[in-house]
Amino acid sequence: MLTLRFTNYLHGTVRARISGPMPEKFINLCLARGIFLWGIAKHNDDMFVSLRLGDFFRIRPLARRSRTRVEAVGHAGFPFALKRIRRRKMLVAGAVLFFMLLNLLASRVWFVDVSGNKEMAGERIAAVAADQGLKPGITKDGLDLKKVEKEMLLALPELAWVGVSLTGTRAVIEVVEKTLPKAEDRSPAHVVADKDGVIIEVIAIAGQAAVKKGDTVKRGDLLIKGFVDAPPAAPGQVPIITLPGQLVRAGGIVKARVWYDSYGEAGLAEEVYRRTGRQTVAVTLRAGGRELQVKKAPAQPYARFEAETVHKKLPGGRNSDFTVESTINIFHELIAETREITAEQARDLARGRALAAVQDRIPEGVQVVAREVAVLKTAEPSIVRVKVTVETIEDIGRTVNINQQ
Amino acid sequence: MERRRGRRTSLQRLAGLLELPQDIVLDMPRITMLGNKQLLVENHKGLIEYTGTLVRIKLSQGELAITGSDLVIGNFQAEQLLVEGTLTDIKYDV
Repeated sequence: MLTLRFTNYLHGTVRARISGPMPEKFINLCLARGIFLWGIAKHNDDMFVSLRLGDFFRIRPLARRSRTRVEAVGHAGFPFALKRIRRRKMLVAGAVLFFMLLNLLASRVWFVDVSGNKEMAGERIAAVAADQGLKPGITKDGLDLKKVEKEMLLALPELAWVGVSLTGTRAVIEVVEKTLPKAEDRSPAHVVADKDGVIIEVIAIAGQAAVKKGDTVKRGDLLIKGFVDAPPAAPGQVPIITLPGQLVRAGGIVKARVWYDSYGEAGLAEEVYRRTGRQTVAVTLRAGGRELQVKKAPAQPYARFEAETVHKKLPGGRNSDFTVESTINIFHELIAETREITAEQARDLARGRALAAVQDRIPEGVQVVAREVAVLKTAEPSIVRVKVTVETIEDIGRTVNINQQ
Repeated sequence: MERRRGRRTSLQRLAGLLELPQDIVLDMPRITMLGNKQLLVENHKGLIEYTGTLVRIKLSQGELAITGSDLVIGNFQAEQLLVEGTLTDIKYDV
């Protein structure tokens, strides 16, 4: 059915009025000639039929034979549409121009993006790509991406890999930079103590050990010398020349016991601060480079307060440096309250404070050997004082370059 | 008349035996109706009369008269004829 309608559209159809005494005879003649008719309807004395445009020119003799008059009253289909289009040439020209322009613009690279670069400037990579022909305005057909990739890799030795891909009118250059090993410091150096302690192990990988197990060292003491003596001459052999000693970069592991002392105290009557719920808010709006105080607050809004700052940023469009930001300062009023605690609780509190204070000084990942907590006797009954000693074993070596004048 | 009927019945029997469609063998129209809206006549011999209320179709023997209202011939070809509209009567005259 659809194909029939489509072929009818393609050939063009004519609606005809058939008037005369015997329109049925005309219809039967059409049938005999194999002329396809449809939509036959009768209004008053006239009969209306639909037929194909090609058949319409064949029915003239049939009309004469059946003594009917045939008159076209309407038409539809592609041939008539074509006729209309022929009269409006500029419309067609515009459509053709549109598609040509679209094709022309879509067949070129208009944007070149560089991604994946960390150390290198994107402009430099884009400039090298432009030298190889990959720049805005170039046609995509004449572009050999594999060749551009290869040439770029040769031109930029800092790159490990270059991939160029086209997505529409955008060329994306993906690069991976080589990770070069950092230049090692090879200048002669000593290993000195970073902390006070008692040596328990010395392993000199380069240089000569200056301390031995059991030695007590102070911060800054020499642990491994960056100096190697000349090899001693074999026994019984007369030394021909005396070789001077050689400066090296000392290295090694020096493990030592290190003690950390800390002190904490807690009163039996502790003062705690609590938010009252009252607050003052200050709002500052920043757009571009300008600042605007939307809501001001006094510098010292309460006797005791706690400040909280909230930054809110508007998500800017890409490639946009223009940021809109607001800073909200909230000042919470605080109230001091005294809280009575037992001696036991006070001791725990003081211990916790002392441990927290010492924890900041101990490097992460070191072996803690012992932890001593001693409550100090004081004359004041309302304060508990606690001393904490933490013993660790750690590498205390620190490499210090030898000054060469 | 008698002879003709005899020929017809023997042909009919043959068609039944060979399982051939009887409308082909006997040159008879096949009439299909869709409710009272559409009537499709296959193997017709032409149109005798057509008005908005009456359609007469010539068959190999006799004619078919269809009465109704707003009758339109939707499709008119050598092998089939489609009558659309509101059909009320179908009369078969031999």
